[in-house]
Amino acid sequence: MGENIEKIIEVKNVKKIYHMGHERICALNDVSFHILKGEFCCLLGTSGSGKSTLLNLMAGIEKASGGQIIIKGKNISKMSENNLAKFRQRYLGFVFQSYNLMNSMTAIENVEFPLVFKKVPRKIRRKMARDMLIKVGLGSRLRHKPKEMSGGQQQRVGIARAFVANPQIVFADEPTGNLDTKTTMEVMDLIKGMAKANHQTIVMVTHDPRLASYADKIIHILDGNIQSVEILRDITKPEEQTAASLEDTEEENKKEEKEIVSVQATENDKEMEERI
Amino acid sequence: MRISDLILMGLRNLSRRKARTALTVVGMVIGTISIVVMVSIGIGMNKIFTKSVMENGSMTIISIYKNSYVESEDGNYQSIEQKMDDALVNEISQIDHVDAVTPIYDKYVQLTSGKYQSNMELIAMDCTAMPKFGFPALSEGEYPTPENNEIILIGADAMQDFYYFSGRTPKQKTIELGKDKVSFTFSEYAVNEKKKPVTVNLNNYALFAESEDYRYNYCSYIDLEYFKTLYKKYAATLKAEDRKKALASLESYEEIRINVDNMKNVMDVQKTIEEMGYKCESDMQYLDSMLETSNMLQMVLGAIGLVAMLVSAINIANTMVMSIYERTKEIGIMKVLGCYIRDIKKLFLFESGMIGLIGGTLGMGFSYLASHYINKYGGTLLSSIMPGGGYYTEEGAKFSQIPIWLPLAAMLFAIVVGVVAGYIPARRATKISAIEAMKTDG
Ligand SMILES: Nc1ncnc2c1ncn2[C@@H]1O[C@H](COP(=O)(O)OP(=O)(O)OP(=O)(O)O)[C@@H](O)[C@H]1O
Ligand SMILES: [Mg+2]
Repeated sequence: MGENIEKIIEVKNVKKIYHMGHERICALNDVSFHILKGEFCCLLGTSGSGKSTLLNLMAGIEKASGGQIIIKGKNISKMSENNLAKFRQRYLGFVFQSYNLMNSMTAIENVEFPLVFKKVPRKIRRKMARDMLIKVGLGSRLRHKPKEMSGGQQQRVGIARAFVANPQIVFADEPTGNLDTKTTMEVMDLIKGMAKANHQTIVMVTHDPRLASYADKIIHILDGNIQSVEILRDITKPEEQTAASLEDTEEENKKEEKEIVSVQATENDKEMEERI
Repeated sequence: MRISDLILMGLRNLSRRKARTALTVVGMVIGTISIVVMVSIGIGMNKIFTKSVMENGSMTIISIYKNSYVESEDGNYQSIEQKMDDALVNEISQIDHVDAVTPIYDKYVQLTSGKYQSNMELIAMDCTAMPKFGFPALSEGEYPTPENNEIILIGADAMQDFYYFSGRTPKQKTIELGKDKVSFTFSEYAVNEKKKPVTVNLNNYALFAESEDYRYNYCSYIDLEYFKTLYKKYAATLKAEDRKKALASLESYEEIRINVDNMKNVMDVQKTIEEMGYKCESDMQYLDSMLETSNMLQMVLGAIGLVAMLVSAINIANTMVMSIYERTKEIGIMKVLGCYIRDIKKLFLFESGMIGLIGGTLGMGFSYLASHYINKYGGTLLSSIMPGGGYYTEEGAKFSQIPIWLPLAAMLFAIVVGVVAGYIPARRATKISAIEAMKTDG
C-alpha cells in the first residue's frame, strides 16, 4: 500500500542561478527530492539558504535555470504562462508571510478572488468564501478590509483564500513570520487541520525548527543544497493508514458537496488535461 | 475571468481613484469637443459657401466669350477677341462629357408698352439646347422648338421697372404680360428715318418662375434662328454703314455656352477647351479654388482637434502607467492566484477604453452645446477667416454643423484612442514578474 502513495511533487536536479550584472548568485545548487500526496513538508533553513527560491520554483512563479519540477506528473518548467495560470487555479493555493491580500477588497472578496479566475458563478463563490471565513473563525469580519484587521486575522483571510478552491497543494512561505507565538500556533493548527481534513499536501517554508515539528517531513537546506531529509511521520505506515482512511471517507463527503459547485471547474480541468 | 467580473473590477478600479479618473476623462472630453467642433466648423463653412456659390450659378456651365481677357507675360490683363463660329461649336460638342453646346448672341432691346419703356437683355441660343442649361421652371408657356421657334422666354422680373418719362419724376409701372401690350425693338444703331423700324410684339412668350439665381430673373431668351431672321430684318432698316456693322456682328458668336454632364468633369472640359486655344470661364473654377482653400482650412482645424486628442491620449497613457505602478502588487497577486495574462491585459484595456468612452460621450454632449454658441456668437470672427472673406455668408449662417455621423465617429475614435493609449501600459502590466510585484508595497 505504502508504495502506492503518489509522488505529488518531484524535484530533480534543480538549479537556480541569479544573474546580477556580471555576478552569478547560485541560490539553488542541484536539488533533488520528492513530496508525497497528503504530506506536510517543511523546508527548513537559515536566512538566505534558498528556501523561498525553491518554493517559488515549485509553484511555477519562477523559472528554474536547470533541472525538472514535476507536479502531478506534469513538468511545470515546460508549461506556458497560460497553462501555468490554469494549473495554479486548479491545483495550487498560496499563503504568504506578508499576507498579500488585495487592500481594496473586503475579507470575503479576497477569499473569493481565486474563484473569480476559475469562473465560478458569483452566488456560489460568495457562499464558498463565506463558509471558508467562518471555518477560519472570521465569520464576524466578512466585510472588513485588510487594513482594518490584525496580522493574525489577515493571515486567516490568507489561509481561507489559499484553501477556498480546495487545491491539492498549498504552498506557504513563512506564513507565521509576522505573528506572535500564540497566534503562530493558532495559524499552524489551522493550516494543518485543514490540510489533514481534505488530504491536501502542504509545502511550508520556515527558519524556525519549532514550527518544523508540525511537519511529516523536514527538508534541511543550507546554502542552496539539501543537507538532509528528515521524516518525522511516515504517512505510508499502516498505523497512519487507518487514520488516513477515516479521513478519506470524510473527504469523500466533502467532495460531494464541492462537486455541485465546481462542475464547471471540472470541465475546465478535463480540457486542460488534454492540452497539457 | 467572466466578462461581468472583469467589467465590475475595471469600474471599481476606476472609481477607486475618482479624482484622477475624472481629470483624465475631462482631458478626453476636451479632446473630443475640439475634434468635433473643429470638424463641424469645417463642414459648416464648406456647406455655407458651396450653397451660396451654387445659388449664384449653375456649376456645370462653361462659357467662352468673344471678348475675353488674358494675363500677359508682364502681368497685365489684355483684352483679346476670340472668333467663334459653327465649326468651333461642332468641335466642342465632340469633347467628352459635353452635354449641350449652344452659340449665343447677347443684345439689349428696348421694350415699349404704350407710353412706358424699359430695357431687357435678349439672349439668343439654340432652342433645342435651352432645356439643358438648368433654366428655372416655366411658370407659363413652353420652350420654343425648331418648328415653333418664335416663343420668347421671359425672366420673372423682366417686366418690372417700366418708366414713363414726363415731367420731373418718371412714373414707374410693372407690366402684366397678356394684359398689357408689349413690343420690343433693337436699338443698337441710330434709327434710319427713311425706313419703318422692326417692331416685335411680345405675344408669343413663356415665363420663367422666380429663381434664386438673379441672372435669370431680368433677361429673356430667344431661339437663335428666329433671332437671326429678326436681326437681319433689323439690319435691312439701317443706314448702309450701320447695316454692314450689324451683319458683321453676326459672323462671330458672342459666347459659346457649354453644359457639362457632371460637376466633376467641368475642370477637365475647361482644360480641353483651353488646349484648343480658347479662353473660357466657369463658376466651377472659382468654386474649385475656394474649395481648395476651404479644404485646407478644414485640415488645419482638424489638426488642431487632433492635437487636443493626442494630448488626451497621452494623458490616458500616463494615467494607466501610474495606475499600473500603484497596482503592481495587486497584479502580482492576481498572477499568483491564477489570473490569465490576457485577462490582466483586458482589464487595463477596458479601463482605458472606459475613460475614452465616458470622455467621448460627455464630449459629444458638450460639442452640441459648443456648436450652438459658436453659431450664436462666433459668426463675425469665423466669416472673416472663411474663403471669400465673409462675402458669401449670410445672416444667421450655421458655421458649425454637426452631421449625425460626426459624434458617433468621434466617440468611436475616443474609445479607440483610449484603448490604444492603454495598450502599452497594459502590456507592461503583463510583463511584471509576479515575485517582484508582490515584493513591492501596495
Ligand atoms: N531576485 C533575486 N536576484 C538576485 N538574487 C536573489 C534574488 N532572489 C533571491 N536571491 C538570492 O538567492 C539566495 C536565496 O534567497 P531566498 O530568498 O531563497 O532565501 P530564503 O532562504 O528564503 O531566506 P529568508 O529566510 O531570509 O527568506 C539569497 O542569497 C538571495 O540573495
Ligand atoms: Mg524567504
